[in-house]
Amino acid sequence: MTKVLLIEDDDETAEEIAAELADRGFDVEWSSNGLDGLAKARDLRPDAMIVDRLLPGMDGLTVIESLRKDQVRTPVLVLSALGAVDDRVRGLRMGGDDYLTKPFAVVELIARIEALLRRPPETRETTLRVGQLELDLIERTAKRGERKIDLLPREFRLLEYMMRRSDQLLTRAMLLEEVWNYKFVPATNLVDVHMGRVRHKVDGPDDTPMIHNVRGAGFILRAVS
Amino acid sequence: MQFIRSNTFHWAAALAALFAAFVTILFGFIYFKIDDYLIARSDGMITTQVNFFAALPPDRRISALEDHLGQDSRGVQFAGIFDAKGNRLVGNVARLPDDLGAGAGVKSVRMARADDKEPDAPLVRAVARSLDHGHVLVIGRNVDETRELSRVVGGALALGLLPAFCFWLLAGAWLSVRAQRRVEEVNLRVQRIIAGDLRERLPHRNIDEPFSRLAAIVNGMLDELETTIHALAGVGNDIAHDLRTPLTRVRLTLERGRTNATSLEQFQEAADKAIAGIDQSLSIVTALLRLAEIENSRRSSAFGNVELGEMLREVCDMYEPIAEDKQIALSVGTSGTLHVRGDRDLLLEAVANLVDNAIKFTPRSGSVKLELSRGGGETILRVTDTGPGISDQEREAVLRRFYRSDKIRSTPGVGLGLNLVSAIVKLHGFRLIIHSGPGGRVEIVCPDEPAGGA
Repeated sequence: MTKVLLIEDDDETAEEIAAELADRGFDVEWSSNGLDGLAKARDLRPDAMIVDRLLPGMDGLTVIESLRKDQVRTPVLVLSALGAVDDRVRGLRMGGDDYLTKPFAVVELIARIEALLRRPPETRETTLRVGQLELDLIERTAKRGERKIDLLPREFRLLEYMMRRSDQLLTRAMLLEEVWNYKFVPATNLVDVHMGRVRHKVDGPDDTPMIHNVRGAGFILRAVS
Repeated sequence: MQFIRSNTFHWAAALAALFAAFVTILFGFIYFKIDDYLIARSDGMITTQVNFFAALPPDRRISALEDHLGQDSRGVQFAGIFDAKGNRLVGNVARLPDDLGAGAGVKSVRMARADDKEPDAPLVRAVARSLDHGHVLVIGRNVDETRELSRVVGGALALGLLPAFCFWLLAGAWLSVRAQRRVEEVNLRVQRIIAGDLRERLPHRNIDEPFSRLAAIVNGMLDELETTIHALAGVGNDIAHDLRTPLTRVRLTLERGRTNATSLEQFQEAADKAIAGIDQSLSIVTALLRLAEIENSRRSSAFGNVELGEMLREVCDMYEPIAEDKQIALSVGTSGTLHVRGDRDLLLEAVANLVDNAIKFTPRSGSVKLELSRGGGETILRVTDTGPGISDQEREAVLRRFYRSDKIRSTPGVGLGLNLVSAIVKLHGFRLIIHSGPGGRVEIVCPDEPAGGA
């Protein structure tokens, strides 16, 4: 079972997160202060960690820094009450892998933890394949089965990202950050528009859809079974 | 009697004392000068007299001397002739003073009058001259006059200085009491302001006086604060209002779902709608927090060189599909590569907001242009569109939180976009210029040497 260590001092938030993670089949270990959390991180060797930025005993970022010094590479998602403009940058620089500002939707948190746990391996492959869908990274071409798909560069980038993380829920915020490097959520639902274009090209009128919209959460690319 | 402890009074008293000391020294100086002058004059006089009498033939000398004394109505003249044994031959000098050597200059000696019964011999400036047969001629002049003068001077001093000193003290007391009253009055009003009466102002007269000027400065500050506080209160109302709308909708949705839903699907549908409404409320809160975050941020540590052309193309790339859907021509026009110092993420956010707005408010088949230009040490980033633009009256208002033009009330949006742009622009020390319509034209002017920015 996948073990997740949660270091969070607010009981209610912690309970919510722990319950949700348990529902999704994670083995959750909870610690309410920095020092205890650091000790648990060393002893239990969790698969992923969720660390609050401000903690009693030891600051969340210090916990991560100490772990990284000990060569512990466990992926860490940093939580913060108020994302001061450069807090995020500091969080990531200190060794955090992802950053989430409160208040957040639980779906967002779960999606990000799963993304951290299933980080795509560094491959030398030049072709990505998901079911019938094939992406040539050198030629910058795509096809579904025998049908060639014409993609604009930005559409190619989006599809590449989705194929590297197939079967994972990708939230709008994640896509904005990873594909477009946007650190904010724009007023217009840009992601949906871009996704609509790509979906239109990938899922032809007679095809079984591969790109699925998860209501209120995001998108998943799945191979047709 | 609180004024006695006041600083103003202390100063007044110290000044009065200083003034008194100065006047006393002045009077003393005048006194000594006059004294010197009078003695020199009487010395000159008696020297002339002694020479005159000595030169007279002995037979006329005695009568001349008696005439001389007879004419002295004030009784200040001394004269006498003594024989070799010291006996008085003529004149009003009782004895020949021992310390008055004949032939020496004018000296101060004690000299008793022959007909005087007073025990103390007055101090007299006198001179002696040897005559024939061992006789000695003495001429003197009482200089007690000068002492009289000192009495007069002292009297005048006391008469003038005492009231003056008292006047000074009174003036000091008055000034300190007045200052204290004003401080009291200011205190009273400030207490009222602290208690929440923001319309209260400090008293001030229209004269060029430090206290009034200070009051005017403080009043100016209070005006500014009052405006800001009212604006903040307004923002609070706006937030409440803007949050109430989606929340009311959520409540209605949930209520209806609870009463009417008969299947799981219907329940889920209601829940989904409710979640969407809550997300909208949250996005308002998030936007406000983000605004506060940027407004309070003073950092420039994350500033780097930002290539604007590339950034514009990126924003354009992002918004192209939406523009296409509305058949709006979105284009980027740049000349060469232009760099500014700033936070790339924030600048991107600002430009994206401007483009977002432009596309939102431009009707179908219009166009939105992103341009970069240089001029006068400034890099100008311009977003123009063929929408209705912003009217002159609205230019100020659009920077207010939650302001949404009446014309476009129906367009969804939080209404904080331009605030955010303005905050980001300010953080960089750039300027945001909103031109009036028709046609939207917004510029971010980036001076090479940003003023006032972080």
